[in-house]
Amino acid sequence: MTIGFSETAAHARKVLPFIGLVLCAALAAPPAGAQEVVFTDQANREVRLPKPADRVVSIVIPVASNLIALDGGTKKLVGMNPTAKSAVTQGILGKIFPEAKDIPSDVTSPSFVPNVEALAAVNPELVVQWGDIGEEKVAPLTNAGLTTMLILYGTEELTQGYMTMAGKAIGQNERLKALIDWRDQVRKDLAAKTASIPEDEKPRALYLQRAITDMAASGTKGNYTEWSMELAGARNAAAELVGTVSINKEQVAAWNPDVIFLNAFEAELDPSWVYKDPILSLTNAAKNHKVYKLPLGGYRWDPPSQESPLSWMWMANLLHPEVFHYDLRAEMKKAYNTLYHYDLADADIDGVLWTAQQGDAANYDQFKVRQE
Amino acid sequence: MSSVSEGLAARDGMPGGSPTWTRTTLVFAAFLALLCVSLLVSLCAGRFGVPVTRALALIWQGLTDPSAPLQAMDERIVLLVRMPRVVLAALAGGGLAVCGAALQGVFRNPLVSPDILGISQGAAFGGALAIMLGIWGFPLIAMVFVAGMAALVLVGFLARVSGRTETVTVILSGLVVSSVFAAVVSLLQFVADPETSLPAIVYWLMGSFSSATWARVLIAAPGLILGAALLWSLRFRLNVLALDEAEAKSLGARTERERWLVFALVAVIVGSQVAVSGIIGWIGIVIPHAARLLVGHDHRRMLPASILLGAAFTTIIDTLARTVTAAEIPLGVITALVGAPIFAVLLRNHYRERTGR
Repeated sequence: MTIGFSETAAHARKVLPFIGLVLCAALAAPPAGAQEVVFTDQANREVRLPKPADRVVSIVIPVASNLIALDGGTKKLVGMNPTAKSAVTQGILGKIFPEAKDIPSDVTSPSFVPNVEALAAVNPELVVQWGDIGEEKVAPLTNAGLTTMLILYGTEELTQGYMTMAGKAIGQNERLKALIDWRDQVRKDLAAKTASIPEDEKPRALYLQRAITDMAASGTKGNYTEWSMELAGARNAAAELVGTVSINKEQVAAWNPDVIFLNAFEAELDPSWVYKDPILSLTNAAKNHKVYKLPLGGYRWDPPSQESPLSWMWMANLLHPEVFHYDLRAEMKKAYNTLYHYDLADADIDGVLWTAQQGDAANYDQFKVRQE
Repeated sequence: MSSVSEGLAARDGMPGGSPTWTRTTLVFAAFLALLCVSLLVSLCAGRFGVPVTRALALIWQGLTDPSAPLQAMDERIVLLVRMPRVVLAALAGGGLAVCGAALQGVFRNPLVSPDILGISQGAAFGGALAIMLGIWGFPLIAMVFVAGMAALVLVGFLARVSGRTETVTVILSGLVVSSVFAAVVSLLQFVADPETSLPAIVYWLMGSFSSATWARVLIAAPGLILGAALLWSLRFRLNVLALDEAEAKSLGARTERERWLVFALVAVIVGSQVAVSGIIGWIGIVIPHAARLLVGHDHRRMLPASILLGAAFTTIIDTLARTVTAAEIPLGVITALVGAPIFAVLLRNHYRERTGR
């Protein structure tokens, strides 16, 4: 990325002369060499780092925990979105990495408006921002001379794309390859097996991205959870919707889904919400006890994350217990060891899978500790 | 449209130019029929297929034997989902319309809507804050109502200068309070979690009856019905308040006290409505206009006409919101899309007839 005269001038006016001097010197003479990292981001901009970054800020939510997984620790994450931070500190990552609570989250508003001064204060070498959020939330970063990587959201391809960029940017190419290979391998395994399931044997599943304040379901476009559901062998009961939109209970009754997946975002939401509702409790899903809240692991399992393959396995085992026999507890232990260098205890797994809240749901016994 | 022009002649409730009472009776019969038809159609329409005859039988069962246990899905859909929703929409619509009618009289200004006192924005603040704090259900409803009331109290404090209030200071204070609360709502949206509370706040601000239940009807109905009934009991007072200040005083009106009484009733109605269904615009300004064009300025006729029309209009709008697509359409979108053109046509007819004289 080249810095034009006007940008340099603007930044020199804004930033303290000393910091400005250091940055200008660094920009003026990039040590071209084997260490240099160059890639094209998802807004088609060239991102150039003189050496792998040791200090990264994620204004976007998902990349924060991606970075922790890619690096196997929190050291390189020096700032994140407040929403990402609450997910990290409240979930199991807070237990694995207690130091994460000290990572600043004042670098951005939850709605991705960067605070350039707070950003400059943590002195990042790379800042991750959305590529479709509008120039006014990106320009302040580039104008301040910060190297910025823009990413897009929604599909597995994009997820692998930005995970790859992030992994390269921090110089963790080997870990990156392991993470991506795992995703590809599980995905292919699932796709091969679901391909042989006849369409009419795929249960019609409904994913409620919001439930308590107003109810919103995910249709066919642009929702990762919906894509995961189909990968795991479901048909989307709300396929007639485009995007994630508000719906009413009468519509759910009309769809009469075979399975209901509840989001992991709303902390107070669990399957009892469905069973207590006069309408939802009469759906096939409720009658057959097939209402499941998505787990909350290193990140929520509904949006794309480093743990997505676990989420797919969980769904596939629930949707087609006759076809899929993943040993989820073993897979989770293995994955957490790779991702976070952490040995999951059985109680940890029960917490992630909400066994206390939904242990008596249909097909959930397979996820419980085996009494041998 | 001769009744309209005669109605217009009946400005400020002067009895001389009123439409005859028999014609008024006919007009009201038509309004009532419109309301009944829209209620019935709404109860029979929905995304879940219930045959009309079955729906009508269920409605009859609900009216005659309300304690019968509801086991089947279609029974629950008609009696637990549609019926409370339709009742709530009708009550809220009637309430908003009568508020608009009363306030337009008090301020002697046809551009006034119930938003003018800052109650809606205050209530919106209460709701947005509740959603942010993860509060929902009845505590949310309580917070919304209290915040709406608080907004009116604030307006009252701001507008009272040396022991008395002018209507213009009330309007300005309402504007100030509205702006402050709107700004705080924006701030809450700015800091809201973009994956959970933000979409919930945005959706709530656009208004919806989708969460209607009988429990919510029971919470909102007392405020809506009592408020509207008390405003109706003030119909003669409103006719006097709609005159200019000196005239009203010479007729023995204690204008200031009566005005605040009207404001308080409006706050109770709007607070109850926003608490259960979010912000719903347009009804409070469009419906009183339509009513005035159809039955004249006399509040004795204008208030009940507004209630009936508001109830029917809101029921129809809400039916569209929940049936046209699988997704719920925010009410604010349809009230504006349907309300604005109707308003424009009414207004053009009104001026054409006036200039045609």
